[in-house]
Amino acid sequence: MLDAIDKELLRSVADLEGIPKGAYNIRKNGKLLGREVSANIEIDAHPDQEGIVVRIAPGTVNESVHIPVILSQAGLHDVVYNTFIVGEGADVTIVAGCGIHCGGSKSEGHEGIHEFRVEKNARVRYVEKHVAIGPGKGKRILNPTTRVFMAENALAEMELTQLGGVDEAHRVNEATLSAGSSLMISERVMTEDDQTASSENRLFLEGDGSRANMVSRSVLKGTSRQDLKVNLVAKARCFGHIECDAILMDRAVNKTLPALEALHPDAELTHEASIGKIADDQLMKLMSLGLDYDEAVNRIIQAFLK
Amino acid sequence: MLELKDLTFTAPEDDGAPARTIIDHVSYRFEKGLFYAVTGPNGSGKTTLAKLVMGILPAESGKILLDGTDITEFSISERSRAGIAYGFQNSARFKGTTFRDLLSIAAGTDDEEKLVRIIARVGICSLDFLDKPVDAKLSGGEIKKIELATVIARNPRVAIYDEPDTGIDLWTIEPMVDLLKREQESFGTTTIVVSHNKTFLEAADRLLLIKGGKIAYEGALPEADSLLADLSACNYTTICEGEDNAGCYR
Repeated sequence: MLDAIDKELLRSVADLEGIPKGAYNIRKNGKLLGREVSANIEIDAHPDQEGIVVRIAPGTVNESVHIPVILSQAGLHDVVYNTFIVGEGADVTIVAGCGIHCGGSKSEGHEGIHEFRVEKNARVRYVEKHVAIGPGKGKRILNPTTRVFMAENALAEMELTQLGGVDEAHRVNEATLSAGSSLMISERVMTEDDQTASSENRLFLEGDGSRANMVSRSVLKGTSRQDLKVNLVAKARCFGHIECDAILMDRAVNKTLPALEALHPDAELTHEASIGKIADDQLMKLMSLGLDYDEAVNRIIQAFLK
Repeated sequence: MLELKDLTFTAPEDDGAPARTIIDHVSYRFEKGLFYAVTGPNGSGKTTLAKLVMGILPAESGKILLDGTDITEFSISERSRAGIAYGFQNSARFKGTTFRDLLSIAAGTDDEEKLVRIIARVGICSLDFLDKPVDAKLSGGEIKKIELATVIARNPRVAIYDEPDTGIDLWTIEPMVDLLKREQESFGTTTIVVSHNKTFLEAADRLLLIKGGKIAYEGALPEADSLLADLSACNYTTICEGEDNAGCYR
């Protein structure tokens, strides 16, 4: 059964008002809370490690899988290995995410190691939100790892979001792209107080005609710190782009390292990166439309992280 | 309606350059519902005057009254809520913010029907345009339409446009002037346009020529011809690319 905190966490990380329709696997405090499969989507326990294997049958379209994790047990550090096999020609949405409720002084954490095998001509949209709430003083720690293997002409869109409350986060994203495949990673991170977040990304464009686009948007408040590294390695005739923007507020600090490596003469790689405060002309524009300074700041940040 | 009383602004010392008086004890009364063109040589203080009215720059001394209320100490937001709107010469570009976001803030509603009625007034027919990001990818003409729409959406008592022809094609100036005149006449908007462009100057009910931080002339355009001919050489030839028939007074 879901209690009020569970429902709040599910709403925050997966936009769920309760148990979802279709296939799902809900994990609470390291244990299975509920699971449902569909005719085209199988979910089994991982054969070797703690976690699950989600198999999406070839040709499955317009279906979704929800696999949220909720944590509310002081001192628990949950580690799971989840594998997703998206069959040839499938077109599905996977909604993951972890919500932590910290009520005490002990730390709580979750490490989700997700591996995606996106088969030929398959399309997957992966949505992952990380949220931490609660009055406790214990650290809330989230260390996700995402590994993506993309077959020919596969397409993956990954929306990775962490919008507050997480004290420490270390994210790793890795992807290998075959010919004609496309990967779009969109990462949104907001830190405040003395929180830290780091993100390491290694994207390998190995097939002709492959495309990767990584967009990172960061907002840093208080004395928080974020580090971002993106390595784009091109081994074929391909296209890759990195766009990283960080808004600094208060006394926060940021390090952004976009790196391009062309190992093929026909590779096209580009990057743009910016770090700075909210531009005065943006604030003045919104204030000239009637918003107070604080309202203008909030609107700009909300839209930036949207 | 909008009254400036003995308004002065001095730019502080900057990087070795001495402090300089940009607006020098200017007093003037803008009447309700009229169309004013503010012109003058580059660096004469016309944009500074507009920014002082909007509160983007603080007055050093003097007063600004709107319908008798002293708004000299009002913030930009307070002046906006009091009924002054401002079209920026160089519009802000955002990341993630769409035209719909800006227009909803300006209009105080996200009701799509109402937003569509506003964009129709500036000649935007496509609904898709509402969801365009207001970012660096927009053309000069697109960002200018967005700027105008957000000013108009405020239903202002006083609309100030700073060099509204910056960054747009010469042949789109005429429709822009028609739009501002239409808004002025339909809603009684007191309209103040800072410009060198002949089309705006000709459309105005009153011309204000600013020179050396003071109002050198106030009145109708024909009487100002000789003064305008004396203005300093143009520094904006990159905008019209030296076209002979650009039709501006510089």
